Amino acid sequence: ILDSFNDLYTSYVIFCILLMSVVILVISIFNAEFYAVVPSIPCSRLALIGKIIHPQQVIHSVVHAVMGMLVAWCAAVMTKGKFQFLAVPCMPSESLDDAVPQMCLNEYHLFFLLSGAFMGYSYSLLYLINNMNYLPFPIIQQYKYLRFRRSLPLLVKHSCVESLYFVRNFCVAYYFFGYIPKVWISTTMDLHIDSKLHPLDTLTGLLDLSLVYHAWLCGVFLLITWYIAWLLFKIYATETHHFPVQPTFAEETDQCLPKILNSNPPLIIKFLALQDLMLLSQYSPVRRQEVFSLSQPGGHPHNWTAISRECLSLLSDLTQRLITQQDAAAANGRAKQPAGELKVSPQTPGAVVTEDMSSQSQRSNIVPRASMSSLVKSSLMPLKTSPGSDVGSPFSSPALNCKTGILDVNSPWHGSVQSPHVMRRGPKLWTSGSDLQMNGSHHESFPVLSAARVGSEAVQPSFIYTWLQNKQEQIKNFLSKRVLIMYFFSKHPEASIQAVFSDAQMHIWALEGLSHLVAASFTEDQFGVVQTTLPAILNTLLTLQEVVDRHFKLPHVSSKSPRISGRLVDTSYKTLRFALRASLKTALYRITTVFGEHLNAVQVSAEHKKRLQQFLEYKE
Amino acid sequence: AGCTIRAFAWHPHTSKFAVALLDDSIRVYNSNSATIPSLKHRLQRNVAAMAWKPLCASILAVACQSCVLVWHLDPTSLSTRPSSGCAQVLSYPGHSPVTSLAWAPSGELLLSASPVDTAMLVWDVSTENCVQLQWFGGGGVTYLAWSPDGSKVLAATPSAVFRVWEAQMWTCERWPTIKGRCQTGCWSPDGSRLLFTVLGESVIYSLSFSEYRGEMQGQVGGSKTASIVADLSETTFETLYGEERIGGEVHSMVWDPTGERLAVIIRGQADVPGSQTVIAVFRTRNSPVFELLPCGFLRGERGAQPQLIAFHPCFKKGALLTVCWSTGKISHVPFFFVSAHVPRASPSRSPVMASASVREQPLFSEL
Repeated sequence: ILDSFNDLYTSYVIFCILLMSVVILVISIFNAEFYAVVPSIPCSRLALIGKIIHPQQVIHSVVHAVMGMLVAWCAAVMTKGKFQFLAVPCMPSESLDDAVPQMCLNEYHLFFLLSGAFMGYSYSLLYLINNMNYLPFPIIQQYKYLRFRRSLPLLVKHSCVESLYFVRNFCVAYYFFGYIPKVWISTTMDLHIDSKLHPLDTLTGLLDLSLVYHAWLCGVFLLITWYIAWLLFKIYATETHHFPVQPTFAEETDQCLPKILNSNPPLIIKFLALQDLMLLSQYSPVRRQEVFSLSQPGGHPHNWTAISRECLSLLSDLTQRLITQQDAAAANGRAKQPAGELKVSPQTPGAVVTEDMSSQSQRSNIVPRASMSSLVKSSLMPLKTSPGSDVGSPFSSPALNCKTGILDVNSPWHGSVQSPHVMRRGPKLWTSGSDLQMNGSHHESFPVLSAARVGSEAVQPSFIYTWLQNKQEQIKNFLSKRVLIMYFFSKHPEASIQAVFSDAQMHIWALEGLSHLVAASFTEDQFGVVQTTLPAILNTLLTLQEVVDRHFKLPHVSSKSPRISGRLVDTSYKTLRFALRASLKTALYRITTVFGEHLNAVQVSAEHKKRLQQFLEYKE
Repeated sequence: AGCTIRAFAWHPHTSKFAVALLDDSIRVYNSNSATIPSLKHRLQRNVAAMAWKPLCASILAVACQSCVLVWHLDPTSLSTRPSSGCAQVLSYPGHSPVTSLAWAPSGELLLSASPVDTAMLVWDVSTENCVQLQWFGGGGVTYLAWSPDGSKVLAATPSAVFRVWEAQMWTCERWPTIKGRCQTGCWSPDGSRLLFTVLGESVIYSLSFSEYRGEMQGQVGGSKTASIVADLSETTFETLYGEERIGGEVHSMVWDPTGERLAVIIRGQADVPGSQTVIAVFRTRNSPVFELLPCGFLRGERGAQPQLIAFHPCFKKGALLTVCWSTGKISHVPFFFVSAHVPRASPSRSPVMASASVREQPLFSEL
C-alpha cells in the first residue's frame, strides 16, 4: 500500500490526473454545446444517416475518440506493467552476437490506445442514437444531491455492462482490422514487430484474459466519468429557476416571467420559465397574488394578460400543428401545407376560434373532405371568396381549393391507391417522397401558390404547373417501386408521431400552470382579472381536446411501446403525447370541479357548452 | 379475514364506488346507472387497495400482487365486462406485493408502496415513468395517506417509525413512535393536522404542522411532539340493554372531508368475552382550536364486525359514512348536520348542531 501511495506522487501520475481533468472539461463543453430540450427525432432511415454524417456529429465523434485515446493512455501509463510504453526494447532472435537492443512495438499498448479511441467513438454514436443530448425534465422536484445519489447505482451498473459490449465489439474489429494501425505505426516510428510474442490480432492473442480485463476496466472508468459529467450537466441544467413575476428592481425587468414568456428566448429559458410558472401556480400563494395583481397607475392586469396570452398562443399553435398533421394523414400523404399560411395571430385566438366553431357546426357536412382544419385556416387567413370554386365550401381559401383540386384530379397516384403494391406499404408512403422533391418543387409550388392566392381569379392553374406535377408523380411512382430507395426514405410512423409531439412538455406545463391559476383564482382573485379571459381559455382548451382526441384515432398514435424499466437514458420523449392528453383532461376537470355550476354563466359556443356539461357530470 | 370484501373506494366527485371482492374481481356501482361493470384481469390478484384518480371521470388504480393496474373506464359505457385492454400495467422489479396507493389530490402523480420495498414509487401514470424515493431504516411502507390539500404524505412503516413527506421537494421527517408501528392515520382537510394511532395503544395522537405557505421549500414543518387527544381504553357504559364494555385498540380511522366527523373502528380485546368491535364517531373541529368530542357509536347486526369504513367525498348534507361489514353487507350511514364552514342564509336562527342520526339504512346493500 505504501508503494502505491509513493506511486501516486510521481510526476507521471500527477500529469495523468491533469490530463484527465482536461478530458472531462472538454467532454463537459461538448455536453453544454450539444444539449437540446426538444429532441430531434429522425423520421426516416435516411434522416438518421444524415444525422450521423452531419459535420457537427463528425466533430463530436472525432473529439470523443481522441479523448478516449487520451484516457486509455493515462490508464495504460498508470498501470505500469506491460502496457506502459508504446515501444519496448526487445531482442531480435536471429542476431545473437549483435546484442543491440532494438525498439519493438508494444502491441498491448497499441491495443489499449485503440480500444480507448473505439470506446470514445462508440460513446459518441450512442449519444446520438439514444438522443442523450435531450434534457428530460423530472416529474417531481428533488434536491440536486438527492437526484444525483439516486441515479448513481444505475449509472455504475450501466457503465459496466456497456463497457463489456464495447470491449467485445472492439475485439472483433481488431481481429479483422488490427493489422492496419500496427503496420502503420511500426513503419512510421521505425519499430520492429517482436516476432517472439503472439501478434494480437489472432484468436489466441485476443483470448488473453488480463488484456481483456484491463481493457474492460479502462472502459468502465471512462464511461463512469463521462456519464457522471453528463448526469451532473443534466441535473444542473434542469434545475428549477425562480423567475420573479413582478420586478422589484429596474434591472430585473428583463428577467421577469411575463416578459420572458412573451419574447422569444432560447428554448431552454422558455422551458425553465414554463416550469416555474407551473410550480408557482401550484405551490406559491404569494406569487399567485402577484400574477392576479393590477398595475399601479392604470389598473391593468398586465401580468395575467401576458401569461395567459402566451399560454393560449402555445396551445393554439399545437392545435394548428395537429390539424395540419391530420390533414396530411387524411389526404394520404399530400405535401404538407407550408407553415407560413397558418400563422395564428396571438392577439385574440379565443375570439377567432369561437367564430369558426360556430361556422363549422353549421357546415360540417358540406365539405367532402370535411376537415375542420380547412375552415379554421380559412377564418385565420384573410377571407376571400373565389368565384366559381365549387371544390370546397365557399369559405375555404382559394389556395387550399386549388391544391386539393389539382392533386385530386391530376395525380396518377390517385388511381394507384387501389393497387396492392402501394397498399401493402401503408398510408405514409408518399409523405417522404414528396418531401424529397419538396426541395426542388417547393420553390415552384410556392410562387405558384402565392400567385394563385393573390390572383384570386386563377382557379384553373397554369399549364406548366400541372405538367410539373404530372412529372413529379411519375417519378415518385417509379421510385416507389425500387425497394432500396423506399427502405431509406420510408417514414417510420412512430417516429413521425413522436416528432410532432416532441416539444409537448411546454404545452403540458402551460396547461397545468394555466389551470392551476384559474382554479386558484376562484378564491384568490380579488379583482376578477381571470374572469374576463375565461371564455377564451375554455375555448382553447376544448378545441385542443377535440383535436387531440381525433389525433389519437389515427393509426399508431395510441399504441404504446413496452416500457423497459431501469434504463439510464431517459426516453420519456416517446410518450409525451399521452402525458399531454392526460394533463389536458385533468386541466379541464380542474376548472370545472372548482367552478362547478357557475361555468354555465360563461359565454361559450353551444357546442362547447355541451362538452362542458359533460365535464361537469364527469362523463368525459 | 372472514370478509368477502377486500377493498372499497369512493369516487372523489360523483356517487360511484368500487368494491374489490375476495375472488379478485372489482365491481363498480354507480347511483346514476343500473349497469355494474365487473373488472377482471389476469394480473389482478390479491387486491389490497384501490383508489380513484381525482379530477377524472373514471380511472381506477388497483394495488395487486405484482403490479399496479390502472383501469381506464369509459364513464358512459354500458358494458358489464370491460376488456383487459383498458387496464394499464405499472410494474417495477422488486416492488411487490403492492399494498397501498395514494393519488395526489391535484391528480397527476400516483404513489405506490409495498411493505417489502424500502422505496416508495412516484408514478407519472400517462408516461409510465416512476421515481424511487428511497430511505434507510424502517423497512417498507404499510400505509400511505396524502393530505387533502396536496402538501404532505404520511408513510407508515412496519417498524416503530413513520415518515411524513412534503410533496414539493420530497424531503421527509422521521417520527419514531415509542411502542409500536403506526397503525393508521388521517389528515385534516387543510393538511395542518395529522391524527394517528399506534399498534398496541388505545389512544389517538395528534400532530400539527405549520400552515403551508409555499415559501418553506423542503420543510415539512411538523411540531416537536405529538399530543394525545383521545383515550379509547376500555370503559363500561350503562345502556338500556345492560352493561356494555367498549374500548380498545384502533383498527382504522377516517375523517370526513369537511373535517367535522371522525369515525374510528375500535377493536375490543379478543380474549375478554363480551367485548365487541364498534365504530365510534366523534365530532371534530380544526379551527380555531382542535376539538374532539364523542358523538356516538355504530354497531351492526349481531355477529357482524365492521371491516372497512370510508366517508363519501362530497356529501352535501353533512357526512355519509360507508361501512363494509364482515358479513359482506355494505351500509351507508348518513349524518345530517349543518357544516360550520358553509355560510347559511338565515342569520336569525343559529345553526344547531344536529345530533347524529345513527340509523342504519342500507342504500347499496349487496352480497
